[in-house]
Amino acid sequence: MTEEAAGVSVRDVWKGYAGVPVLKGVSLSLERGQIHALLGGNGAGKSTLMRVIAGLAHADRGAVFIRGQELRPASAKKAHMLGLYLVPQEAHVFASLTVYENIVIGVPGSKAALSAKLEGFMREMGVCLDLEEIAGSLEIADRQIVEILRGLIRDASYLILDEPTSALTPRETGALFATMRRLVAGGMGIIFISHKLREVREICDVITVLRDGVIVHSGMLSEISDDGIVAAMIDAVADKARHEVSHAADEVVLELDRLGGEGFHGVSLALRRGEILGIAGVVGAGRTELAETIVGLRPIASGTCRLDGRQIAQPSPKTCADLGLVYLPEDRQSNGLFLEAPISWNVSAAIMHRLPTFFAGAAETKRAETFIRELGIKCRGAEQQVLRLSGGNQQKVLMARCLAAKPQVLILDEPTRGVDVAARADIYNIIFALAAAGTAIIVISSDFDEIEELCDRVAVMAHGHLSGVLEGADVSVKAIAQLAFSAEVSL
Amino acid sequence: MIRFFSKNRTASLLVISAVSFALIGAFAPGFLSFATVRTILINGMIMMTVSLGVMGVLLTRNIDVSVGSTLGLSAAVLGLLLQAEVALPLAMAGALATGLLAGLLNGVLVAVIGVPAIIATLGTLGLYRGLLLILTGGVWIENLPQSLKALASPRFAGFPILIFVVAAIVLLAHLFLSHTRKGRFVYAVGDNRDAARHIGLPVRHIELSVFVFAGLMSAVGGIIFAAQIGFLPGQAGSGIELRVIAACVLGGISLLGGSGTVAGLVVAVFFLTSIDSALIYLRIPGYWNDLIAGAMLLLVLVVDGRLRLLIDKSVRAKRYANHASTDKGQSLIKATPGLTTSGGNQ
Amino acid sequence: MRPSLRFLLRWESFLVLLLIAEILIFGAINPRFLRPSSLLYSTSDFVQIGIVALPLTLVIIAGGIDVSFASVVGLCAIVFGVSVHFGLNVPVAMLLAVLAGGLCGLFNAAVILTSRIQPLVVTLGSLYLFSGLAVVLSGSIGAGGYEGIGGFPQFFTDIANMHLLGLPMPLAILLIEAILLGCILQFTRFGRMVYLVGLSEKAALFNGMPLDRVRMWTYVLLGVFAAIAGLILTSYFGSARTDLGTQTLLSAVTAVALGGASVYGGKGTIFGTLIATLLVGYLQQGLQMSGVSSQISGALSGALLLIAVSGRQLAGGVSVLSFLRPTALHASK
Ligand SMILES: Nc1ncnc2c1ncn2[C@@H]1O[C@H](COP(=O)(O)OP(=O)(O)OP(=O)(O)O)[C@@H](O)[C@H]1O
Ligand SMILES: [Mg+2]
Repeated sequence: MTEEAAGVSVRDVWKGYAGVPVLKGVSLSLERGQIHALLGGNGAGKSTLMRVIAGLAHADRGAVFIRGQELRPASAKKAHMLGLYLVPQEAHVFASLTVYENIVIGVPGSKAALSAKLEGFMREMGVCLDLEEIAGSLEIADRQIVEILRGLIRDASYLILDEPTSALTPRETGALFATMRRLVAGGMGIIFISHKLREVREICDVITVLRDGVIVHSGMLSEISDDGIVAAMIDAVADKARHEVSHAADEVVLELDRLGGEGFHGVSLALRRGEILGIAGVVGAGRTELAETIVGLRPIASGTCRLDGRQIAQPSPKTCADLGLVYLPEDRQSNGLFLEAPISWNVSAAIMHRLPTFFAGAAETKRAETFIRELGIKCRGAEQQVLRLSGGNQQKVLMARCLAAKPQVLILDEPTRGVDVAARADIYNIIFALAAAGTAIIVISSDFDEIEELCDRVAVMAHGHLSGVLEGADVSVKAIAQLAFSAEVSL
Repeated sequence: MIRFFSKNRTASLLVISAVSFALIGAFAPGFLSFATVRTILINGMIMMTVSLGVMGVLLTRNIDVSVGSTLGLSAAVLGLLLQAEVALPLAMAGALATGLLAGLLNGVLVAVIGVPAIIATLGTLGLYRGLLLILTGGVWIENLPQSLKALASPRFAGFPILIFVVAAIVLLAHLFLSHTRKGRFVYAVGDNRDAARHIGLPVRHIELSVFVFAGLMSAVGGIIFAAQIGFLPGQAGSGIELRVIAACVLGGISLLGGSGTVAGLVVAVFFLTSIDSALIYLRIPGYWNDLIAGAMLLLVLVVDGRLRLLIDKSVRAKRYANHASTDKGQSLIKATPGLTTSGGNQ
Repeated sequence: MRPSLRFLLRWESFLVLLLIAEILIFGAINPRFLRPSSLLYSTSDFVQIGIVALPLTLVIIAGGIDVSFASVVGLCAIVFGVSVHFGLNVPVAMLLAVLAGGLCGLFNAAVILTSRIQPLVVTLGSLYLFSGLAVVLSGSIGAGGYEGIGGFPQFFTDIANMHLLGLPMPLAILLIEAILLGCILQFTRFGRMVYLVGLSEKAALFNGMPLDRVRMWTYVLLGVFAAIAGLILTSYFGSARTDLGTQTLLSAVTAVALGGASVYGGKGTIFGTLIATLLVGYLQQGLQMSGVSSQISGALSGALLLIAVSGRQLAGGVSVLSFLRPTALHASK
């Protein structure tokens, strides 16, 4: 079996949950010195396949070989010993251990040596994390970075990165790519999962496309066009509604006047009915803090916030819900979703206060089913636990929750994190339709392309301040990036 | 200073204990003395050992309510062996083995078979207590030999030998939990089981071992009980589970797993025991005991809780303060023109 | 029942099977046990467990815990006794006792929610506080610990022996309570929020749910029903004692846990707790009627519980109960 000895190889793997097959005979091989892109729509089975490779899930049939050794029975420990590490889609953080402990836990070696190595990686990636901080207080992007560092420090020969860039801004992504290139040059083999074709083009050599648990394409990346990849992945992408005209009315619904709070200061903004306002910036610029302050999850330190002309001294989530302001949080797993509850409960979660005291489950199920159809949520029915959905489908449930509330003002924090190309187009169309119907929308995103495509007006934040506002034809990825990064250089 | 308190759950409890001590001392002269402290330490020995065992279980996000019964059962085994004239060391080994087996059964039920810990240990709570009653026939074991009681009688500066054993165990547990890799694994399992599995920690082994340790510690508690009291009623140790879990939680060990320190536990045990001792010094009629003990505990909890909320708040404020200071007072964006009319309509 | 609960129902149907098996086995050992009258009337000895276990299920589903109910039972009985002693008429005294129960719950909620300390410790404190209060109160009118406060009018002591719909009063009260709480939990907004708050405090907060109010009401409900249990026991025994509820503590927690509620919140049903209460209660009664000595019956019931649960676990091959262990949910075995 010399071919297997070379790297990781998966042979005819089948895997199902509760009798429903997720992987249907997948074969794949990864060689050292190669970056292998794995693409596929939401729920195609990418994460499941990776969990099987990393020994975290048992395959029903088929085999996984790492360096010629069969991984049987499935064991994460054995996979580690054979030099394979999986950086999972949702960062697994030990909330009460320090960042340092989180990263090095389970790695043998002296503290001094580990620290030195860790600092090397952190410098290379250009990240600054307080290693003594308790990891529970980390923002989602930092959690992702902790997971990536965890993978790097383990000296793996094979690294699997399951959507590592979904929470990162272009700069961190760039640094990650540089690190990946160096590691691959040193003989590492990497599987890289992403929904962003541009990233895949930038870094990968080989591509495999998974669709409904079956491999539908594999080969060199240079031999297939973007359209070819998308066509292999999904049936059809909805035509992008052109969003050339802004629907912004004159009426202001949300007005911030020199608002200050935790992590930002002196932010003045006015949001009009029907307008799509983007808030761009790098990780840590204070965007999420701003949004959470507006919806009453953090205290206001200075300035004022007016909703619908009414001044709100200290908003609370409850008053916001009453006033029709809905927030889609960035961290879907811990803040957004009730993971162990069925989809239907989650879809109704934001409108609890509007439901009658006694309610029948039927209406709720119907509501959920409508959204499942509209958003193409891949599931086994409205009663399936959200926990058992793929990452992208969880994001869609979160979106459905916001839409069900028929908001007047909608704040979307990274609305398309982990969402596939087709669903992304769907979500964009929904956002446009909402705006056309008069909803005022704020989109917070680290993906500058997304901001450019979606927004009528873009406010760029850096270091807790607004560093500029772009409007109309001025909105471009380049201009956004300039504003987002320039402020940093000057500080 | 604030940062220190926020990082040390223990410190705030310590301060509160000291303050309440001083207050009690003001009302009950003679309370503030070395002798009192010694009494409290000696009285707290059983709770200390048993809660140390439970702490390990709680850290892994499990729970053990069978410790009281395990304590009673191993003490009974000790007593019966001694009555049968087995040598003291051997009898003690027997008691320890009993605790170990009891813990092992709990561990197997939870970690291997997968019964939720609360159900498993509620079951063994009844089982072990029943076994004790069957073993002893429901009769108290009396006339324990002097050699056993000697372990609990004053020896060095009024401290019995056993307290040094307990101190050593506490110290070792502290070193293990906070300074060894394996110790941190215990925290990791309770903090995030998925993540622990993910990075390849032996989750089941760890769970099994904490239950065995809890059983062992309960047996040590049983030996102390027998030595201190000198006889063994059938109800030995019953009801201690709740107090022990409370001590753990008060000491900052989360029932949700993954956080807490031995130092915090020590302070909490000391504090809870001192409430009992204070009641004696305050010369309150017996039937007021529960009321006052409950009120004191609640008062301290509320003060401690509020204090920590304040601390958290100021830590947060500090953390974000840098942003305010770098503010240059200018907002780069002026409110969009034509919007000054807002606020007119309701 | 809605499909989302099907998974839980599997566990509950197991409990039902277990209950039937238990009754049949005891019936085989002692045919007297199977007589409808003995099946019905033996419930009076353990109904109080269920009366507190059902609202305790709500508290636990909402992510809290309360151990003080064991004292509230006695305290409210004493409040009733003292009021009657001072000449209040019985219905008013009963109302007063229920009010006292509600206040106890409110007190717990207030302390827990203002101090943000884990409810287990807080309610342990109030467990002492309330029982101390009961002792002091009953001492104030010179009633001793064992005999308690007696001398209630006949019609009050008859309540526990009356019938409703052909059922003994205590059992009828339990069933009515179960239906009431079951409906609240399954069909009202409040019930839904109880689950959601327990499933994820953070997500509930982000969705603008009134976390504290939901939690508060669960504690108040428990207080009220603990008071009712105290009254029933007082009526049944003919005297109000401070320690009436002491025995219910462990049994009620067992019933809730065995009924499928997770101590980490978000899971559990009223039906499960009800069946588990009957299971635990009949086990005690059955062992007693089969002539097992009280010493052995403790060990036996513990062992039987373990054998049943782990047997089911092993028979399922996989961790069937894994849904009770929140952290094991991802286990992709
Ligand atoms: N534990 C589970 N129980 C039941 N079904 C599951 C479980 N985990 C995953 N699935 C199902 O398996 C399918 C594939 O999921 P997977 O997470 O592998 O998708 P994915 O390709 O990673 O998608 P995404 O791009 O959204 O992350 C989904 O339909 C999901 O519902
Ligand atoms: Mg995935």
